[in-house]
Amino acid sequence: MIKNKITMIDIIAKIGKWIFIIFFLLMTTLPIVWLIITSFKTNFEYETMPFSFPKVWQFINYKKAFKMSGLLQLFIHSVIVALCTTIINLIISSMAAFVLSREKFKGNEIILNILLAGVLIPIIALMVPYLKIIVNLGIYNSLFGLIITYTSINIPISVFLIHGFMKSLPKELEEAAVMDGCTFTQRFTKIVFPLTKPGLVTAGTLVFIYCWNEFTYAMLLTNSASARTLQLGIQFFKSQFVVDYVSMLAAIVISMLPTIIVYIFLHDKIISGITCGAVKG
Amino acid sequence: MKNKNMGKIIMFLLPVVVLYGLFFIYPLGFVFVTSFTKWHGLGDMEFIAFSNFIKLFSDPVFLLSLRNNLIWALVLGFVQVPLACGMAMLLSRRPKGWKFFRTVYFLPNVISQVALAMMWLAIYNADHGILNSLISLFTEEQFTFSWLGANNTALQAVIIQQLFYIGYFMVVILASRVGIPASYYEAAELDGANIWQQEVFITIPMLKPILVTTITLAMAYGMRHFESTYLMTGGGPNHATSVMGILLYTKLEARKYGMGSAIGATLIVFGGAMIAFIRHFLNRKQLDL
Repeated sequence: MIKNKITMIDIIAKIGKWIFIIFFLLMTTLPIVWLIITSFKTNFEYETMPFSFPKVWQFINYKKAFKMSGLLQLFIHSVIVALCTTIINLIISSMAAFVLSREKFKGNEIILNILLAGVLIPIIALMVPYLKIIVNLGIYNSLFGLIITYTSINIPISVFLIHGFMKSLPKELEEAAVMDGCTFTQRFTKIVFPLTKPGLVTAGTLVFIYCWNEFTYAMLLTNSASARTLQLGIQFFKSQFVVDYVSMLAAIVISMLPTIIVYIFLHDKIISGITCGAVKG
Repeated sequence: MKNKNMGKIIMFLLPVVVLYGLFFIYPLGFVFVTSFTKWHGLGDMEFIAFSNFIKLFSDPVFLLSLRNNLIWALVLGFVQVPLACGMAMLLSRRPKGWKFFRTVYFLPNVISQVALAMMWLAIYNADHGILNSLISLFTEEQFTFSWLGANNTALQAVIIQQLFYIGYFMVVILASRVGIPASYYEAAELDGANIWQQEVFITIPMLKPILVTTITLAMAYGMRHFESTYLMTGGGPNHATSVMGILLYTKLEARKYGMGSAIGATLIVFGGAMIAFIRHFLNRKQLDL
């Protein structure tokens, strides 16, 4: 009797466990799957049969998406912003992290702590000053304005990740190199920077994804198509594609591809970066 | 202590320090100073002491936004994080495919809020949204309810859109759970503790620090919430889904920069106070071991 009771509870727990797991699986994936499938339908199919597969897969939606919305230009803008930000951010963050993790000097810890405290600041609350700064610098409505803003916003997380990684590198290599006449700058460029590659990949991936997906400041700091990024462009699709809804969905799928591809290849790096960021913060 | 490389050190720190000063320290000071002024962007700022704050806290729309922020913070902190923790505890027992689930749950975190909002607009759409189509399968007439357009469902709808994206907190908690030594569980098992007892008496107390951290983070996110609501409802209908971030943006568009800064300052102060309070409260409350 007692044994039977325990197995009953076990079975119920097991079923409950899988319901929980599958529920979240569906909540996270179904909207995306639905979006991708619907982006291959005709508008008629979209309106009348929301749950069916397309009779004929309409690849033409993707062609239309590129033609109608200037998608290519938006895409190029996003690539420029995301790549430039990632590169600049990694270079300056690793320079600072190198000094902060390697050199002893007055104020070292204070500077590090102030930099890291940046993650606590709600960037959203700084809309007024950011707008003023960018306008005053004369880079309103320019890709450069977005690049410098995103580069700065990501300093705390990058310095944190790269600093943590550099601290774990043994100092012996550098000491040997100094004996051989390696200068201060060469210690960074020839030894520490190359060795930090795994940490740079993690930080760089997070920065890239942030830039690609950023919406609020792309909206605030630009006002015309000449500096519009993809995420902002999608917002305008709504008015462009009033009659051709499925092509808009195709455009959205295209906008998601880069980060999803990055995620497929680097998800371990991304998850480890996120994890050590939060665990230590 | 004098470092002979001081010149080089300053050179290496300079770019980060300059940008950090320009985009973190200066803006913070700017927000607090201008929150006491009336300023339309051009011309001089007019010092008006606490007028902006007095106006704000007697404005029903602001109070509603603040309330919504608090609801967001509480739901994220005390519903989303526990769900994430439950999932982390399940996956830590390594059921079949746990790595796959972990990867998939985190996926929405790499997709833009814009794309996610578009998807959910299609789900909540009154005429041919997925949700209404699903309900229509069980009703005789076509079900057409505007989930985001009705005063009494809009806030729930925008919160649910975010609520089930537990991936971020789940991976963080899971990493911490994996760090608990297996020997604790082996010892408990020898003492005859079943899985439930192990989870309650070992896992949860051991996870306490990370739970405090994630709840704090989640509540901070609730206070800064902006994008997905802005994209789905713009704060409507009748400000039912408005949050401080959205109100700040509308003030900015209306060139009421002083007022915008006052909202920003309130957001920073409330967010900071909440973090301090929650950390203090959760750290003091002892969990029995």
